[in-house]
Amino acid sequence: MSGVRRLLGGALLGLALVFPAGAGAFEQPFIPNPPTAVESAQVQRQEEQPLNNAPVWRDVRSGGVHITQARGVDTGVLIQSGGETWRALREGPISLYGGILLIAVPIILGLFYAWKGPMRVHGQLTGKMILRLTPWDRIIHWSVAITWLILAITGLILLFGKHVLLPVFGYTLFSWLAVAGKNLHNFTGPLFLVSMVAMFFTYLSRNLPEAGDGRWLAKVGGMFSGQHVPAGFFNAGEKIVFWLGLTLFGVVVSLSGLVLNFPNFDQGRELMQQAHLFHSITGILFMGLMMGHIYLGTIGVPGAYDAMRRDGLVDEAWAKEHHENWYNDVKAGKATHGAMADTAGGRAVPETSRA
Amino acid sequence: MARMKFLCDAERCIECNGCVTACKNTNEVPWGVNRRRVVTIDDGLPGERSISVACMHCSDAPCMAVCPVDCFYKSTDGVVLHDKDLCIGCGYCFYACPFGAPQFPQDGGFGLRGKMDKCTFCAGGPEPDGSEAEFRKYGENRLAQGKLPSCAEMCSTKALLGGDGDVIADIYRTRVLVRGKGSDVWGWGTAYGKPEKQAAPGGKS
Repeated sequence: MSGVRRLLGGALLGLALVFPAGAGAFEQPFIPNPPTAVESAQVQRQEEQPLNNAPVWRDVRSGGVHITQARGVDTGVLIQSGGETWRALREGPISLYGGILLIAVPIILGLFYAWKGPMRVHGQLTGKMILRLTPWDRIIHWSVAITWLILAITGLILLFGKHVLLPVFGYTLFSWLAVAGKNLHNFTGPLFLVSMVAMFFTYLSRNLPEAGDGRWLAKVGGMFSGQHVPAGFFNAGEKIVFWLGLTLFGVVVSLSGLVLNFPNFDQGRELMQQAHLFHSITGILFMGLMMGHIYLGTIGVPGAYDAMRRDGLVDEAWAKEHHENWYNDVKAGKATHGAMADTAGGRAVPETSRA
Repeated sequence: MARMKFLCDAERCIECNGCVTACKNTNEVPWGVNRRRVVTIDDGLPGERSISVACMHCSDAPCMAVCPVDCFYKSTDGVVLHDKDLCIGCGYCFYACPFGAPQFPQDGGFGLRGKMDKCTFCAGGPEPDGSEAEFRKYGENRLAQGKLPSCAEMCSTKALLGGDGDVIADIYRTRVLVRGKGSDVWGWGTAYGKPEKQAAPGGKS
């Protein structure tokens, strides 16, 4: 077999030598590319001012790409100054104001709790339950919530750990923690992205704007006045968490995270610096917003956590207190999500057919 | 104490890549890692200049400032070094460095880059001077042997100078006076601050 191939190869080589296919190419005269404007300017400057190299060095300072034998991304760039901007922003305003925000939000929430206390149901609980969240609703919520928490904590370690944990743990232990945090962050990130997309479509129909959202927002849900404000399945505050948090912040952190997480696509430093700025700023804002969400989902509104955590059931009185329009729809059998539940078994038993 | 600096004389560099080869040979750097590279500006045009560039061991080093585990330290000679045992391979030093000095042995997905590697000014790392562990991670510690970095020592046209900042600045000043041109000291403004503060022989770039 190999002998045949060698014979064939030899015959082809002989043919190529006798009838050079590209012979025409050798006869064509060499025509250099016409000089570009920059090149012409350079040639002219060298004739008129042979000692003036200032324009060359200006070009270097501006991060132009030049010729080099070193393979890799951006190796032809001599000075890339974007990194200094990135450093100044990260070690400056992002750390400072981000840190202040992340300390201030829990303090404000604590003060609010001390002042107003939890938002309890007015009157007695009925003991009759409504299925508010299906198992899928809850699974997808906790997929997002758990991956988000891992990302938030490991992200904070990378941004603030040096200032907060390193002095306590020492270099070696903190380095182990940071390695674990970095890898956890990088592998959890794509899981968050997938969960986030699934959650978006699962919860989308319940987060469309409705009549009454404006009124709810104007009164901030009666959080300060203690007034009763009716709301649908989700109130306007929850819709803000959905659209601003999950959707906008989620998309920005995910896309910028992908740019940072996969350097194997040979993206340059400049893109990664910009992605990192978007990633850290959005991440911090996301954390601030979610602190409010976690507060209202746990100690701020008794009953809310149980619905998401245990069986998805809420008391009728709770539903009427916090989501009156939805409660009325469920009662009337018009609700697209949620149904009357059999309290004993905790299973949904629709009283009427669903819309 | 000396303050170690690199200076590349663009009037003299002939782009032979001898410094790159010397660096690789001396420090046995991993594949794909280029601690030093030569960049040519206006290649093939009148006024073409070449520059050999590596870590400049900056006065206010951006890599040191952004490292989330604080693995960088400065030797008494002003050389910026790092501890590979602490490095987590996050790539922040690579984002921050204006010279593109920090290198990674891998660029895998999920940010798996391996430990950062960069020019050590041939001064090794935190391990005991001249130890096997130090050589394996950082390359040769020539400073501990009383020698200067091998790239500068090997430079055929003495374009690349490495050593005490004052001494190499004096050498450069003499050259500029004799030849009457080429006073721009590439990269010093970025690495060592404004020229008026550090008494550089020429303009900044």
